[in-house]
Amino acid sequence: MVEKKSKKKVEGILKKEISRRDFIKTTALGAAGLSLSSWAPVPFTYGAEPPIKIGMFNEYTVFATEYGYWLGKVGKAAIAKLNAEGGIAKRKVELVDYDTKANPAWSASMFKKMILEDKADMIMGSIHSGVHKACFPLAEQYKIPFFSGGAMTYELTGKDGIPYYIRNHTHARTQALAGWKWGFDNLGKKWTFLVADYAWGHSLAREFGSRIVAAGGKTQEIRAPQATQDFVPYLQKVDPDTEVLFTAFLGSAALGVLRQTVEVGLHKRLQRYTVICCTEGIGQEVVGKESIGAYYIEYHPRHFDQVPKELQAYDKAYRKACGVTDDGREVGNPKVTIAGSHMWSMWIYPYMIKLGIEQTGWKDSKKNADLINAICSLKLKAGPWCPVGDLDMRVQDHQGFTDHYISKVEPDLKLKVLHRIPKENVMYDPEIDFRKML
Amino acid sequence: MKLHSNIHDDISLKQFVIPGLTRNPAFSWIPAGVYPVLDTGQESRVLDATNVAVYKRIRFVISNLAIAILNGIVWGLIMALIALGLNMIFGLLHIINMAHGALYMLGAVVAWYLIEVTGSFWIALIIAPLCVGAIGLIIERGLIRTIEDKPITTIICTFGVMLAVQQLVLMIFGGSPRRISPPVAYRFPLFELQYPAMRIMIALISIVLMIGLWIFLRKTKYGLWMRAVVQDREMAVGLGIPVNKVYMWTFVLGSALAAFSGVLAAPIVSVEFMMGRDILIMAFIIVIVGGMGNLGGSVLAAIMISLIQGIGSLFVPPSIATVFALAFMILVLMFRPQGLFGE
Repeated sequence: MVEKKSKKKVEGILKKEISRRDFIKTTALGAAGLSLSSWAPVPFTYGAEPPIKIGMFNEYTVFATEYGYWLGKVGKAAIAKLNAEGGIAKRKVELVDYDTKANPAWSASMFKKMILEDKADMIMGSIHSGVHKACFPLAEQYKIPFFSGGAMTYELTGKDGIPYYIRNHTHARTQALAGWKWGFDNLGKKWTFLVADYAWGHSLAREFGSRIVAAGGKTQEIRAPQATQDFVPYLQKVDPDTEVLFTAFLGSAALGVLRQTVEVGLHKRLQRYTVICCTEGIGQEVVGKESIGAYYIEYHPRHFDQVPKELQAYDKAYRKACGVTDDGREVGNPKVTIAGSHMWSMWIYPYMIKLGIEQTGWKDSKKNADLINAICSLKLKAGPWCPVGDLDMRVQDHQGFTDHYISKVEPDLKLKVLHRIPKENVMYDPEIDFRKML
Repeated sequence: MKLHSNIHDDISLKQFVIPGLTRNPAFSWIPAGVYPVLDTGQESRVLDATNVAVYKRIRFVISNLAIAILNGIVWGLIMALIALGLNMIFGLLHIINMAHGALYMLGAVVAWYLIEVTGSFWIALIIAPLCVGAIGLIIERGLIRTIEDKPITTIICTFGVMLAVQQLVLMIFGGSPRRISPPVAYRFPLFELQYPAMRIMIALISIVLMIGLWIFLRKTKYGLWMRAVVQDREMAVGLGIPVNKVYMWTFVLGSALAAFSGVLAAPIVSVEFMMGRDILIMAFIIVIVGGMGNLGGSVLAAIMISLIQGIGSLFVPPSIATVFALAFMILVLMFRPQGLFGE
């Protein structure tokens, strides 16, 4: 029945006679339509250049989703701003976005998909060091610039790094350089590190611990699985003489360790010190009053009123573009707290790419080496595209340096900045020189 | 536990004088200075630093042992509740419910919403399991009933339910962990540390629930039907027992028990969409060690495994102590494949 109907329709079309007048009329209308369409306002018609494609992947499901959400949101906001300002070298910037599922093997397959199927020119995102390591062979094979969203293992821009990897944000070593001395002088000389039993936790304990021991302090290290829910068996191992308990966990484990430290009464006899990574994307009210008195190392203040005065105008505009309130929450959704110390990396990368392309005249992957060298030589001044203050990239190891902050949780559960550490204090000698390897 | 250097190692040997410290003859068998807390006699004496360090160390070890035992029992009881639900469903329906951890998580998430609305943990403790029980009913009637005699298919199906529930919660509840404040904030001193009274209360509630479940199974008509179906399904059908209904209510009860555990554990751990993942593995270990289908066995196995982990963690890093639990399971499977208390 269906076949018969369609047959009839085809025959009808074929049998329809077209006169010369009809043909000329239709052709003329079509030609007029086509020529008019070229006058229509199209956002990007700057010559025949195809758009620049940026691949993005983040942890949207499974693990560290509070980071993935914000890194993705800020990355999209930055690309929208870039396009609104005319794109890069008059070329539109397109974004393709994938979920890493916090799974290195899966992420590597997405990385390859972005290169081969989506034809991404460069890739950015993810806070997962394991994901980054899994993608390194592909970045090297296809010579694709790969920008870290928030991976904190310092070796990634050191001995384990690759020349195609670029990191504009802090990591375990710079955090240790920023925070160990202040903690040693102000909190105590005997430290216990209770850290997640994987690369990031080990890295923090090693970086802080070695400096504490070198300065004449004492350290104890306790490792617990990242998925730990009950910390009592670990907390009871904390040496009775400990003065500073440094913890490093993500997500619910970070909440658990802070709260349970208070539950067993340890907070009365020692100071709690940690990095903001532990409660990024989690409001202090979620941690609860148990977090009062804890010290954090921040990489950009969560609350607007704690941002240095000279950066406030830039920070205000950046928050507005990303849908963030002065209190460090999502506009229209006050239960969602920002990953404020991490997400700015995704805001700055598109601008760094723009500057790099404009400096080198980059058109396609043939000039990727020049592009990477240009990007990694940038010295950004504080501004609308760099709301965290001056950012110095280092061309040798592709590592960026910015200011850090020591904050304390006040009784109103706000993170109050006590001390600002200039970027010069967190610099260290590069372990590697990628310039010879590109 | 890796020690870069031991804090106690370099206590100098200078003499500590503890004025007024006296010795009780009842404790004369204890070497002088090792345990000054017990000394309440007449004569003052001098302790050297080494003895103070030894005393501190002994006190530290005793404190750790007490907490390990107490905490082991508390966690054992929470785990027992989860494992009971899992084991009930397996014992009766022969279904390995991979979604059990997701139902545990769902209990905590629903409780979080209820507490946001009502402000009461206790209301949430009652209503959340009922809500999750209703979801269990939908799962059993809508999905499992049609495939309940195909074990492999049920595993895949419940695994799918687990992923669906997790992603749905991620979508609605978000990825950030949330907190449920403990309704009892009191902490009591336990040697060097303190122990939250809330945990003891959770253990007591778990015991009450388990006693309630035992009474339900032993003293009610439904309990009798359930036991009858476990023993001989065909005979139960022949005797007019509504087997389908029994299946349905068993799944609902198992789901509600998982949710109960989720609500009870929520003030200790944090509420998040992945919180049921690791719990599920431990619940399976408990069910295997206790004996599949043996509810009493699950309770004992849960406490035993938690104690093994807790006490083991005094001697090795706690993450390695988990290996003890797995080694224990392997030993049980080698010598009693049906589980410690299975028939």
